[in-house]
Amino acid sequence: MPDPVLQVEDLSISFTSGGVSADVVRDLSVTLDGGRTLAVVGESGSGKTITGRAIMQLLPQAASARGRIVVAGREMLSADERELRRARGSDVAMVFQDSMSALSPYLDIGAHIAQAVRLHDRSVSRRAARLRAVEMLERVGIPEPADAVRRFPHEFSGGMRQRAVIAMALVNRPALLIADEPTTALDVTVQAQILALLRELQQEFGMAMLLISHDFGVVASAADDVLVLYAGREAEYGSLRDIFEHPAHPYTAGLRGATPRLDARLDSNGERTRLRAIPGAPTSLRDAGAGCAFAPRCALADRVGERCVVEVPLPTLRTASTDGGVHRAACHLDRLPTLEEVAR
Amino acid sequence: MSADAPILEMTDVSKRFRTPGGFGRRRNGFLAVDGVSLRVERGEALGLVGESGSGKSTLARMANGLVTPTSGTVRTDGQDVAALSRRGLRRLRRNVAMVFQDPLASLNPRQTVRQTLENVYRAHGETTSTGELVALLESVGLGPDYLGRYPHEASGGQLQRVAVARALALKPDLIIADEPTSALDVSVRAQILNLLADLQRDQGISFLHVSHDLAVIRLYSDRVAVMQRGRVVETGPSDEIFRSPQHPCTQALVAATPEAELPT
Repeated sequence: MPDPVLQVEDLSISFTSGGVSADVVRDLSVTLDGGRTLAVVGESGSGKTITGRAIMQLLPQAASARGRIVVAGREMLSADERELRRARGSDVAMVFQDSMSALSPYLDIGAHIAQAVRLHDRSVSRRAARLRAVEMLERVGIPEPADAVRRFPHEFSGGMRQRAVIAMALVNRPALLIADEPTTALDVTVQAQILALLRELQQEFGMAMLLISHDFGVVASAADDVLVLYAGREAEYGSLRDIFEHPAHPYTAGLRGATPRLDARLDSNGERTRLRAIPGAPTSLRDAGAGCAFAPRCALADRVGERCVVEVPLPTLRTASTDGGVHRAACHLDRLPTLEEVAR
Repeated sequence: MSADAPILEMTDVSKRFRTPGGFGRRRNGFLAVDGVSLRVERGEALGLVGESGSGKSTLARMANGLVTPTSGTVRTDGQDVAALSRRGLRRLRRNVAMVFQDPLASLNPRQTVRQTLENVYRAHGETTSTGELVALLESVGLGPDYLGRYPHEASGGQLQRVAVARALALKPDLIIADEPTSALDVSVRAQILNLLADLQRDQGISFLHVSHDLAVIRLYSDRVAVMQRGRVVETGPSDEIFRSPQHPCTQALVAATPEAELPT
């Protein structure tokens, strides 16, 4: 079996402020093979975005990462700046939520893509890089690409800009694409197009994709595997089917119950069905107490008992995997929770 | 004021925004809302959906006089909004409250929750007691300790509850909610949606709920109006619209909305 494209081992990320250091992500371990999509799901403070940035080694000054991150065989945490420059773009690239801030207003679309080409291969002439840009724009479905390369970001619609950013990210055929909420700012019809495009390009290039999202609808239509984060730790990891049909963590089950469905029916009384809300608000690792960070919001913590508030649950294998994949959950409960139990 | 008039009735309403000349724009401005007629009955929740730029927010703002229509009439409680005096407009605004998308942006960062709520009463020449404010916060699920807090001391969901409390302060008949849960975390969104549904059911408040999220509108609206390029292209009971959408725009929206379900 070939080595995984992405290997994360015991990753912790901390922020230092005023001489005090605090973890925002702790002990994350995950692997991702080429051609597969891992969705990282979480809410505010879960650490999903900072984890994506750690993999790119694009952490803010105040942050530092410990553990191990291997992308396409390269140790990212011990790599020097020269190595990282080589890795970014050709091994791993990133697409962000806000395409406008990912593009320079002073450069035309073609210049962005040509720059990405020449940054990685100086032997490519300006003219050839420009031609690659046209090809790539055509590949991501931008009409009249020869004309579009001369346009500036503000002349594109949000969906077209996101296509251009994808072209820029993929022009060097990275082994791993990190997509951080790539469709959140887009209308649903455009969102569907962008997700389809990403899937198509992924199959063609065989790349691995880390899809950071808060939206179970997007996850359901794009992911193979799902990592659910809560307050900087893994809450649950499993195949899409395991996560959707047999969630083992009360938080995962709660999120599912809190997600509105388009095919909702009226109940037997003719009343509209209500969402099952999780009480309280998401927290971060910094504000989490001694035990499980989710315990204060968890309807099942009472049943398990004191353990939930004194001992941090570690991810452990669950046997009920529908498709033979790895299914882990970090919960002291020794059975699957039901939707009715986890929220009201 | 008549009891049988719909709480909100818009007839052939249009809004043209003037745009600066040049820069490739049409000189006659931008027609954001184009001849829309719709009504919200008493106690009803009307969902307004559409893509960005379809005119749904402009329409919502015309409903409470924040935006003046270029043509057409807006009636709340049977009264023509355009014919209202300044004082009349003030009365309108206590009857028609608004909740916005971003609670942090819609609350004054330098005022405590108590000051924010007291200002609502003061603006309408009323006084209030601490007991009243505590009861108001309780109705949105917040404890009395929130009275002394500043916006930065609360989470997004708690702030949106404060914004709902502010809307409820003067006991309005209609609440216009423009993407009230779009900025909130998934687990918190459900709390706020259920709160709004309870207010509709228990206090008989009518809602005009603007959202780009069809699944949210599906669950929390009695009727739905779908907007496209400034026009309402389809209206009907929520269940019907989503079960068998008729207009191509609605069909496209329904088809593109990703379901948080796996194909079986």
